[in-house]
Amino acid sequence: MTDRRIKVIIAKPGLDGHDRGAKVVARALVEAGMEVVYLGLQQSPESIVRAAVDEDADVIGLSILSGAHMTNFRRVKELMEASGLGDRLLTGGGIIPTRDQEKLRELGIDKVFGPGDDLQGIVDYIRERAGRPSKG
Amino acid sequence: MSVEKPSVSQELWTDFFAGSRLACARLISVVENSPQAIPEVLDRIIPRQKGGIRVGVTGPPGVGKSTVTAALARRAVQAGRKVGVLAVDPTSPFSGGAFLGDRVRMQRLSDDHQVFIRSMASREGHGGLSPATPYAADVLDAFGLDRIFIETVGVGQSELDVMSSADLVVLVLQPGTGDVIQALKAGIIEAADLFLVNKSDLQGTETLLDSLRFLMEIGGGPRRKSLPPVIQASALQDRGLDEAFAEIERLVSGLVASGLFLEKRRARLESEVRAAIGRELWDKYAALTNAGEVIPAVVGRLLERRRSPYPYIREAVSRVRILIDEERGPREEPQ
Repeated sequence: MTDRRIKVIIAKPGLDGHDRGAKVVARALVEAGMEVVYLGLQQSPESIVRAAVDEDADVIGLSILSGAHMTNFRRVKELMEASGLGDRLLTGGGIIPTRDQEKLRELGIDKVFGPGDDLQGIVDYIRERAGRPSKG
Repeated sequence: MSVEKPSVSQELWTDFFAGSRLACARLISVVENSPQAIPEVLDRIIPRQKGGIRVGVTGPPGVGKSTVTAALARRAVQAGRKVGVLAVDPTSPFSGGAFLGDRVRMQRLSDDHQVFIRSMASREGHGGLSPATPYAADVLDAFGLDRIFIETVGVGQSELDVMSSADLVVLVLQPGTGDVIQALKAGIIEAADLFLVNKSDLQGTETLLDSLRFLMEIGGGPRRKSLPPVIQASALQDRGLDEAFAEIERLVSGLVASGLFLEKRRARLESEVRAAIGRELWDKYAALTNAGEVIPAVVGRLLERRRSPYPYIREAVSRVRILIDEERGPREEPQ
């Protein structure tokens, strides 16, 4: 008998201050039965990954609207691997051009979300990729 | 997958005892997600514990518990302590999910001081903590942390789990929320070892302090030897928190010197022993009697006939010994 609930870190790296999207997604994940650690604004990749270690998070979700997605995703991915979290899911959302999504896939970030994506799709993706039932 | 296994891998233990932060985090996940692994975990970690002090921080929602916890934890680091924080937020009874937001107020603590911070959803806990929180504190203690702050869910008047799980309890209050009548209601006030009046930059601070002074004057009841100190603070303005931390350290020394610390540990261990025996016996009983199916059927009949459950309970209990004897019998004979 295990009661493993998917634990997700939601964070906004960098300086953009638009956190409505992050909050809406966080709320949807909570309603889907997940445990969401909300870090809020102005996070550094280092602080995000340190939190993910202490929290033993299954998933890190980054919300980036500033255009700095390549730098942030790359850095977070590097730090995850260096911290033993290479097997955890990294995803995110924001305004991310298609050509950059391709580059993100090369880094191992298979899917990011943007305006118009529905919340259920995000929930389903995380459920599937986190690989664990959300409720015991 | 390793999380599905009931036992903890040797690799995880090796990493944990070598000081790996991720291993510590994973061990907390084990006690959180796999209650059946708790005995094995306690067997290994209790011999390694050094008696880290557990400071509970509780109070109504929105009074500033997370900010105060972070401020106190920061001072503990500066005083040379190895510090951990367990921050509990409520699980939604509807979805089973949880929005864990305490870290938002603890950013500097995480960034500048490398404090181990773990958010916990309250899950089935209704007393302000999660059922796994005391075990998570045990894990942090065995990890070598000597000040473990446990921040509860925002509580009302009687969510008192923290009282038995912490060595001392800081009750955070703020002005403008109720009067002495609220304070006189039994429960949370009696659990406090220290009152911290946060947001004392706001109007109404004097009224709250008057109420608390009145409580002091009429006494803390027969159970209490000395009345808890009251500290005025403002986490926003960073006022009063040095005093609060100094007071906590003074109380900790007192607890240790007076033997109360050991007394608390003794009480905690005793309730663990009682609860564990209860669980084991129940599991055994349930397995022997197929209770999962039998009890609902019996309850159905009781409801229909408007009968008290106790004749059934007496009969069921009297059968336990026979069943255990029967179960034991064939095991002793070599097959």
